[in-house]
Amino acid sequence: MSVWSWIKLTVCLWLLRKAARITGWLLAVVLAVAAWPLTLVAAAGYVTAWLQGWPPVRLFRAAAWSLPATAVWLAGLALRGSAWQSAAVAPGHAWTRRWGYLAIPGLARTFVLVAPVAVPAGLAVAGVVWAWRIYAITTGLGGITASAPIIFDARQWRHQVRAARDRNAAPGAAPLLASGGKIPVGGTIRAIGHRWHPVFTIPAAACARHMVVVGSTGSGKTNLMIRLWAGWFTAALSAARAGRGQRPLLIVLDCKGGRDARTKANRTRRLLYGAGARRVAIWPDEAGLCLWDLPPADLAVVLYQMIDTGTGNAAYYADILQAVLNLAVAAPPGPPLSTAGFLDRLEARWLTRAWDDGRHPAEADRIRAAARHLPDIQLRYATLLGRLGPALDGPGALADADAWYCILEGTREPSVAQAQAMALTELAAYTATNLAGEQRAILLAADDYSAVSGRVPLSNLYERGRSLGIGVQVSAQSWQGLGATEDERYRIAGTADGGIWVMSTPHPEPLTALAGHRRVLETAHKLIGNTWGDEGTTREQQAWTADPDLIRRLQVGQACYIHHGAATFVQVARPRPSPLTLLPPPASGSSPVQVPAPRREAEPGSQSGSQPNPVPASLDDVFGPGGTP
Amino acid sequence: MNPDPFDALGLPARHDLTDEQVRAAWRAVAAGTHPDRADGGDVARYTAATAAFAELRTPWGRSEALADLAAASGDTSPLPLIAAADPWAADPWAADPSAADPSAAGPFSAGSATRPGRGGLRQLPARIWRGRRRRLVIRALAAAVLSWTALRLVPGQPAGPAAVAGLITWLLLTGRRDLAPPPGQ
Repeated sequence: MSVWSWIKLTVCLWLLRKAARITGWLLAVVLAVAAWPLTLVAAAGYVTAWLQGWPPVRLFRAAAWSLPATAVWLAGLALRGSAWQSAAVAPGHAWTRRWGYLAIPGLARTFVLVAPVAVPAGLAVAGVVWAWRIYAITTGLGGITASAPIIFDARQWRHQVRAARDRNAAPGAAPLLASGGKIPVGGTIRAIGHRWHPVFTIPAAACARHMVVVGSTGSGKTNLMIRLWAGWFTAALSAARAGRGQRPLLIVLDCKGGRDARTKANRTRRLLYGAGARRVAIWPDEAGLCLWDLPPADLAVVLYQMIDTGTGNAAYYADILQAVLNLAVAAPPGPPLSTAGFLDRLEARWLTRAWDDGRHPAEADRIRAAARHLPDIQLRYATLLGRLGPALDGPGALADADAWYCILEGTREPSVAQAQAMALTELAAYTATNLAGEQRAILLAADDYSAVSGRVPLSNLYERGRSLGIGVQVSAQSWQGLGATEDERYRIAGTADGGIWVMSTPHPEPLTALAGHRRVLETAHKLIGNTWGDEGTTREQQAWTADPDLIRRLQVGQACYIHHGAATFVQVARPRPSPLTLLPPPASGSSPVQVPAPRREAEPGSQSGSQPNPVPASLDDVFGPGGTP
Repeated sequence: MNPDPFDALGLPARHDLTDEQVRAAWRAVAAGTHPDRADGGDVARYTAATAAFAELRTPWGRSEALADLAAASGDTSPLPLIAAADPWAADPWAADPSAADPSAAGPFSAGSATRPGRGGLRQLPARIWRGRRRRLVIRALAAAVLSWTALRLVPGQPAGPAAVAGLITWLLLTGRRDLAPPPGQ
């Protein structure tokens, strides 16, 4: 073969390929023009999906929602033709007849005539084309330049964020509670593995399990948490009103404290009032709790844990401390009812009067043995309880309110806040297990718990909540804030069966690893000069389900929800109560506000023996202080 | 003790009252009823107002008082639904006439004795009024104009009612998010 022949053959082949391609394009154009109403709808759908960053499923749903109009059209045709056969062939008739309308300037009329078929079909076609476009770009099959996938993804992210923000701006898009008891969180930016919905929702039951929120300062963590609290409260209250659940009790531990905490508390309170809460207490500013309500055994343990005891030689004194606490709390007159009463008991004289009745010789011996240590123990507890302040000295119980916002000054006074956190956790546990009281659906939320996790690690709180059957939600500013050791952090994150929320944070890899990887296709092209050749390979690769780099770049209010090996990026909507609020009705009768009467401490010589609970003040009033009738 | 401390201070029984509003109301009552006034004042009313102020001066106290008022009425749930504020009232306290008299609720009140989150069509006017009503009106107008156009373009054809059905579906689906959320949600 001569060179000239080879050149002619090559040119012919090239021309043939180009001709085939041009013919294909021409055919497509002819088809598009012939079916111009469908093309118009498909083009509009495609452009809208591109601009809004929709996934293809959004177009398919739109097509499905336009089918009622098609049904009306078919029903109309059937009624006119009085036969189902006419209805069956009606789309074809309309398709062929429409050419007659092109002759007149009534293009709009033509469009209306075929719209019942063209709209759903066009939207479906747009969905298919858009899905192909996404596939082609992300796998490297499409695009003009090598950077096309990166540019496409970045652009789509911007579009998706903008659309999610627009959705959040609508007042009814993200209420506190959606149908089916789901909690709307905000506009969906991108869903990977999860089903896509315009507004991302999580089931209220997810909040009733264990949930972790990680985000650095200024990432919008507070907004997200308040929304989740209010959503859970609203869902639980609705369920209780419908007779499908217990009344909710929300306990929030704001472990950092400070002025911001008061602002957050007031915001939470306003939101909960709007959701139907009647009593929302802010502790310790406005309401108190009574540590002394705890059962004696638990009370002794909490009081013991509140004090730093040390190890080594100090263990000897720790044992003495524990023995004295048991003697003071389990004394025959019953447990102490106040700080003053408890401190009184840490005197040898009181303990001796209480126990040295001839029936408790062993206890009396212990008191004599520990007598010289009692002033020290009393001093330590007087100091500790004095620093804790009156807010744990009652009156008041967690069950008195619908929600408690507890502010712990973990930044300013870490040791005090740690002791308070311990006491509050114990009170929450008591409320959950107290069979005498009303059973409540409880969510214990600890914001920045790491600030007070010195003596009770977060994993302990977590496991405690699990054993008690209450929901626990914890937040931290970083992965490291979740626990002291890597093992503890993984234990917390790995057992978060309610899901993990990751907001902007510098080290999200350990959390995103829990979402796992997904299989993606990676196409390599052979380059000829500066352009792609027509050869290449495609291979399967693994990619992050929740991309850590994307999480690092999240802006304020954007979050990634990781659950069941899938991830959804959300633009969190600022929680607002409905402007149509719930207000209590006007008073119809006399109901003075009941203020709990101060309780009186039992005398050391008195015996309550078999009576486990303290003597009520009302009985004291009737029978005089210091004993049962 | 006054059964309704809000009433003693001339305040509506609302949870969104501020400390300043309560203090101002107490000062107003106290100035008009103090026993040191030349006319002798009104000791009973002054005493009641002072007790009420002591009770309502903190948000927690107001929360307690509101809850006790609700409990006194024998109501546990559901709470009655009333519009939080009358859009035409300049005085925010006057915005809640139904707090004193439920029958006097605003023109778009959601009514009373309705389970929160429900109430269907009765809540609709209030939800429209409290939502993005301008957008809703534009959507409704667009749907109406397009429906009218479709019916005029293809009179007597089944495509006309079909277009109207499609536009109504579109209006219902897209207009929902412009409504204010139902009470309690």
